[in-house]
Amino acid sequence: MAALCIGIQLTPRPPNVEFTSLICFLTGFLFGALFGALLGALTMFINGFLSSWGFAGIIMPFQMLGMALMGFAGGFYRKTLGRNSNVLESLNFESACLAAFLTLLYDIITNAGYAIFFNLPIIAVLIAGVWFSIIHVVSNTVLFGAAFHRLVKIVGSLVGESL
Amino acid sequence: MKETKRSFIMVVLAWITSLFLVSLVGAYYYVEFQKEKSANTVYVGMYNDLLKNYTSLLQSYTELLNDYDSLVQGYETERQNLTRLLQQYESCVMRVNICIDYGNGTILWYNQTIVPLGYNLLQATRMVAQVNSTYWPAYQASFVDAINGVWNKGAYYWMWYYWDKESKTWKYGDCGADLYILSDGETVRWRYEIPNYG
Repeated sequence: MAALCIGIQLTPRPPNVEFTSLICFLTGFLFGALFGALLGALTMFINGFLSSWGFAGIIMPFQMLGMALMGFAGGFYRKTLGRNSNVLESLNFESACLAAFLTLLYDIITNAGYAIFFNLPIIAVLIAGVWFSIIHVVSNTVLFGAAFHRLVKIVGSLVGESL
Repeated sequence: MKETKRSFIMVVLAWITSLFLVSLVGAYYYVEFQKEKSANTVYVGMYNDLLKNYTSLLQSYTELLNDYDSLVQGYETERQNLTRLLQQYESCVMRVNICIDYGNGTILWYNQTIVPLGYNLLQATRMVAQVNSTYWPAYQASFVDAINGVWNKGAYYWMWYYWDKESKTWKYGDCGADLYILSDGETVRWRYEIPNYG
């Protein structure tokens, strides 16, 4: 899964449009919060060295934390659903809402890391990167809303698990 | 009920997210506005300074232009005066070429030297060099002792020649320099040498 995430991360794409969040969230959702969190942290650790934007450096621990949170949230979300299959009807909508919030949280964490290490006001860093955050949040919201439900069904059937 | 509550929480999270982002966008534009505002103040100051400088430059330019015009007028008047003067002057001057040969390789030419009509060689030479001479009453002529600090010494004397246009050769002067009246366009030469009358 980590290799898949890294492969997608290294694929040329518009800035801040990524699939790693979806995969980590999905992994956490299907295989548990701990597994999702570990995948998120590992992916961002490797990505920190191989990214086409250069070595992540001091931001890397914050990226790991943010993506781990994404994977963990997947598992946590699964727990809130329980065994109720009716919930699948609203899965697209709910995952999209959750994705928007978690992506924002990820951006706040990484920007805060940047601000702390470069001794800059956090709010100024957030303001300066607002357009990147918007792209990130909107793309993840659309992606989760469109793909999460289907991916759950596909991967669930592959591993012989039904929600 | 549980599902509704969860969906409500999700909506609230999405709403918080959008609110946060909208606030950031607002803050972004506020910061940009403040930047532009301060830049605008700076630019206005610069513009005012520039305008002031430009106005004073324009005034200076106008004054300069007036000065230049008056200078041109003055120049034109002077030129006319000088032209008139030159026309008058031309009728009472002549041009001669004077050569001073120091005998050591140094030869100085004073071509087109303007001298008054009727000037003799001695007078003309004094116009281009410092000349020391002695008047000999016995010969009723002056004898040149030195030119530009080079004095007659031993067998060396300052001798003068005139250019004979017909034979195209230098010819020794046969009288004292103050007795030889120059004519317009004439070429004469002083030479520091051991005289050879042969």
